[in-house]
Amino acid sequence: MIARPADAAMDAEVLVIGSGAGGATTAAVLAEAGIDVLVVEEGEWVEQGDTVPFSLDQMDRQYRAGGVTVALGLPSVAYTEGRCAGGGTEVNSGLYWRPPGELLARWREDFRIADFDPAELLSIADEVETVLHVGTDPAGPTAPSEAMRRGADALGWRNGEIPRWMRHDGSGAGQRQSMTRTYLPRAAASGARIVTGCRVDRLELDGDRAVAAHTTLPDGRTGRITFRDVFVCGGAIQSPALLQRSGIRGNIGRSLAVHPTVKLAARFADPLNIPDDVPVHQVKEFAPHLSFGGSASNPGLVALSLLDEWNGFRDAVVDWPRISVYYAAITSQGRGRVFSVPRLRDPIVTYHLTARDRALLRSGLGRLALLMLEAGADTVFPSFRGAPAVRTRKHVATMERLFSANRASVMTVHLCSTVPIGEEAARCGADSFGRVHGATNIHVNDASLLPTAPGVNPQATVMAFAIRNARRFAAGESHG
Amino acid sequence: MQQVRALPVVGGFADRLLAEDLPDLPHQRRAEVVGFVARRVDGLPSFTRFGVLLIGVVFRALLAVPGGWGLGRVVLRLPLPFVAEYPRLVRSLGYAYVWEHWPSTTPTGGAA
Ligand SMILES: Cc1cc2nc3c(=O)[nH]c(=O)nc-3n(C[C@H](O)[C@H](O)[C@H](O)COP(=O)(O)OP(=O)(O)OC[C@H]3O[C@@H](n4cnc5c(N)ncnc54)[C@H](O)[C@@H]3O)c2cc1C
Repeated sequence: MIARPADAAMDAEVLVIGSGAGGATTAAVLAEAGIDVLVVEEGEWVEQGDTVPFSLDQMDRQYRAGGVTVALGLPSVAYTEGRCAGGGTEVNSGLYWRPPGELLARWREDFRIADFDPAELLSIADEVETVLHVGTDPAGPTAPSEAMRRGADALGWRNGEIPRWMRHDGSGAGQRQSMTRTYLPRAAASGARIVTGCRVDRLELDGDRAVAAHTTLPDGRTGRITFRDVFVCGGAIQSPALLQRSGIRGNIGRSLAVHPTVKLAARFADPLNIPDDVPVHQVKEFAPHLSFGGSASNPGLVALSLLDEWNGFRDAVVDWPRISVYYAAITSQGRGRVFSVPRLRDPIVTYHLTARDRALLRSGLGRLALLMLEAGADTVFPSFRGAPAVRTRKHVATMERLFSANRASVMTVHLCSTVPIGEEAARCGADSFGRVHGATNIHVNDASLLPTAPGVNPQATVMAFAIRNARRFAAGESHG
Repeated sequence: MQQVRALPVVGGFADRLLAEDLPDLPHQRRAEVVGFVARRVDGLPSFTRFGVLLIGVVFRALLAVPGGWGLGRVVLRLPLPFVAEYPRLVRSLGYAYVWEHWPSTTPTGGAA
């Protein structure tokens, strides 16, 4: 535990707001370059093992609003954000995807990201893989993972085990290599101070410069932190919200991009449920537009997945040891917004699915149901109101016909693109190294910068961008 | 707005809904679940919390009049944006709590 309490007045050369994938890497790079860094994190420091993964207790302690956050729309899209030292990296599934090379090249062209070499990002990804001990599970796939593989193989669909940032000891037990295990200790070892339980409410501006951050502690005490430069790394919802609360305008919060998902519960003949872990196989046959994977499936979450059609499905809840939950995720053409309203503490978030998104969710859920039948599921319970139980291929067609995104539980854990990086003034909120357009010393360095949702699990891409930008800053090349 | 606690506003509705959905859930457990639902509503982001409490106030008023619960159920079935989310929120939180804490609970809430 390396976090310390906040003082009422503090000062740093560089203030880093948020300690997730973006903030922790930023802090480590800058501190290792000899810069005086202060990291301020709203959530608490929670040691791994202190909470059961994917439990309500974990949601209370490590998620924003206990995990009950929603982007309003028709349908509304439920989302979750980590809120603890290490941010989303502490609570997520740990599934690692390198930044997709062609996508990086497309981003460079479409958003005019200057001095941006996809090869550089991929080489940073190599480093990240070493630091995070990215690898496959020596124990082999779990039963819910194996079910995905079986179904996909039967259909001839491309699939594979996704490596994770997990360090395995001699006994095979895995330790998640989240930010509290990796980049935050590294930052601290190089002199960075890390303060937890301290929220930055707003930045104080003087012309185009930010001069201080105004903070609040959980007991209501307020404080002020002065700095030379600030890196806002609060994640794709909180970073734009903070900038807006501080009076910063521009393309901030207007282009939220997510990977919307729909779910189903699949019941098998034999027990397979693993309450505290997720399956590590993904099916990428229809990627990048459509991907399938496994979700957390503790008994509470199984009950949740049956909830939309409770009258028809409730009897299955007692079978939860034989049930695992799976998702179909899409790359969405839709976009959302984050906007702060004066005097409201939290931003309002909206999301709009396009007709193409809805169609993709429909066909995605249909294909996923088929996959689970091929995997040997006796019954598939899709998560939307009015859903039929699916037992045969014929039922899959009926289910697709009855599906409506408006009646489905649509959710996401991948939030991006609210301050897109690049010189394309009409679309970007920050310059090619993350400095907010129109500001001299305010930088964004987290998932907000990704120009679009990447179509794969995004953490590695977030980290690669953050490390690139922080290095550039440390080298003094991005100073205004 | 922050001073309004959720329990008095949503507690009655949550209790009634869960009693109907899970009739065999022991009273003490239901009270625990209702407390949890209210705590989570207290922790919602400002705007969502405001919306939930607003709808909660309307339903609390409905519950207070004879026949109000029946009317409330009719209203909940109407395709009114966001209103239908209210029972959904209560159920999501409630069911997740029930089966996480007492995984052998029967579909009607009984302690197996
Ligand atoms: C449940 C879940 C599962 C996921 N699974 C995967 C996966 O398997 N693989 C993958 O690649 N990605 C996954 N992700 C996504 C991944 O975790 C995120 O993309 C990544 O964490 C984003 O990094 P970030 O730095 O933008 O934000 P975060 O990691 O969310 O960090 C932001 C931090 O800033 C803090 N903060 C915000 N505002 C303030 C403020 N005003 N003052 C002080 N502190 C503040 C927050 O409390 C938070 O700790 C998952 C996410 C979730 C929630």
